Amino acid sequence: MPGTVEIPKEKWTGAIRQVTLGATADQGGSRARTVTVGGETTLPFLFFEGAIPNPPVIALEVQDSYPADWSPVLLQAWGDALRDPATWARKAEELGADLIMLRLRGVNSNGQLTTTAQATATVRAVLQATGLPVIVRGPGQAERDNELLVAVAEAAAGERLALGLCEDKNYRTIVAAALAHGHLVIASSPIDVNLAKQLNILISDMRMPLDRVLMDPTTGALGYGLEYTYSVMERLRIAALTGDSMTQQPMICFVGEESWRQKESRAASGVPAQWGDLEKRSVTWEIVTATTLLESGADIVVLRHPKTVGVIRNTIRKLMAQ
Amino acid sequence: MYIIGENIQILSPRIKAAIAEHDATYIRQLARAQVEHGASMLDVNIGPRKKDGTEVMPWLIEEIYDEVGPVPLSLDTTNAAAIEAGLKKCRELGIEAMINSTSADPDRLNVTMPMAAEYGCKIIALAMDKNIPATADGRVALAMEVIIPKAEELGIPMDRIYLDPLVLTVNGCQEHGPETLNAIRSFKMLWDPPPMTTVGLSNISNSVPHEMRSLINRTYLVMLMAAGLDSAIADPLDEAQNEVIRIIEQRDDRTGVGRAYLALYDAVANMEEFTPDHVDMSDPDQVAIYKTVRILENKVIYAHGYLTS
Repeated sequence: MPGTVEIPKEKWTGAIRQVTLGATADQGGSRARTVTVGGETTLPFLFFEGAIPNPPVIALEVQDSYPADWSPVLLQAWGDALRDPATWARKAEELGADLIMLRLRGVNSNGQLTTTAQATATVRAVLQATGLPVIVRGPGQAERDNELLVAVAEAAAGERLALGLCEDKNYRTIVAAALAHGHLVIASSPIDVNLAKQLNILISDMRMPLDRVLMDPTTGALGYGLEYTYSVMERLRIAALTGDSMTQQPMICFVGEESWRQKESRAASGVPAQWGDLEKRSVTWEIVTATTLLESGADIVVLRHPKTVGVIRNTIRKLMAQ
Repeated sequence: MYIIGENIQILSPRIKAAIAEHDATYIRQLARAQVEHGASMLDVNIGPRKKDGTEVMPWLIEEIYDEVGPVPLSLDTTNAAAIEAGLKKCRELGIEAMINSTSADPDRLNVTMPMAAEYGCKIIALAMDKNIPATADGRVALAMEVIIPKAEELGIPMDRIYLDPLVLTVNGCQEHGPETLNAIRSFKMLWDPPPMTTVGLSNISNSVPHEMRSLINRTYLVMLMAAGLDSAIADPLDEAQNEVIRIIEQRDDRTGVGRAYLALYDAVANMEEFTPDHVDMSDPDQVAIYKTVRILENKVIYAHGYLTS
């Protein structure tokens, strides 16, 4: 018997904030183009319930010194480019990245602490090598983050870098530097919706406009807490779409960093034969983690392997096709 | 509202020290203060107290009795022998006693529920087994299938069974807030006569900054009262909370805040949505109530700064 079925649709009342990274020459920076993320009025790729004005984007990770501790699969894929951040960034742009995520390890390959002058020189070199907007992360230790990121913020004033990571124990200095020099910040919380929201409130209380804040919910790789990340991102996104103003930030996921440090991405020997070829396995690990997080609401995925970029680019294109 | 004073509890360092040093001065002060502030019953929480619970519980009962007379007591320990020692002491002194607590976990149910029958006392039954069900339905199922049948089998009348659907903190277990509320509602509707209900109210604001706890506690209490809550293990020294209980019980609508709480009570009782129209949004105190309801309903994510955002 013929009949019509009405598919129930959710009516969302909120929207994710649009955040623009990078500034062109006439906007006070030197980027060839800017990248805008966010703006969604629906859950990931559910076009029948709302709009997704900006597709998710891909950032490639670049580091300030040779990453000798990286998987041999990554070292081989990038080759000598890893020895020079500017060359590395240029190659990342050629591979189709939308953004460069420059990680300042804060130590050179001899294990010596880098000075603020060296850090700013690296940032300048990367900015010259690529026209893409740039994200800059510190070493991840409060004192050093503050020291380096304040110098970087000043040296790259007006570029609309995204600076991070701001955490509940250490955010004031980075937010103040970003405020003073026209940058964005990344607010990072340890897979916890309450802390994620609270940090956005604290950053907003410092008068940082929320269209300059990205949210890092902390990424668990496939097999290592991915489902927790998924739950937290889903919860935050639903809250945002139902109008909870302090959860409406676009989300950035550091996929490569998490994926490539797992055993499955590193172990060439001493593992069951059915695990198969290391390169295929490790790249697949990054692809699956990234794809899952895109489906969970990631607006920016930060990747490491060149091959992943092409696959994820294609995945985003297909998911965005209505 | 039947308030079971929560302040004599082992997690307080001063209480822990008082028991260790066998010096009841502070405990007697707390007992008196709680009774003077309107507590109908006092909870005596000694923790697991495996070694000497059978001595500590009767000693505390005697001290409290000596200070405040035969005020009803809730014997709060997981040590069944300590509970039984307490029940004997209460019978000897003519004190009404309550067992705190049993649950649907057979290891606890089969030990403490028969004690309630034997001593003819009240008993709190937690709607959980080894785990806390995620939903109201899960809690109701344990009450229907395990706890109430056991009480009926033992001939314990419903007005001595205090079902507790378990309150968990809004900071981390926020999704439980509406489930606990709905479980109270179901408990009161499913049986005739219905069982009694209670909750550990202050748990709703565990790990919340101290200065924000009372607002969250009293707002949730209003919602629970509207759902049919009979009693709460709570802080009788919280004057703001006592005032809200009075407002609800006397339907005192003389103040803006009073009208807001009454509107909240009526909305929850009638299963209607509590909206900004129910409060005067130009009054910061009423805005705070509204925002607190939103987090308790799990409609807005809790954050320490939820009142200011």
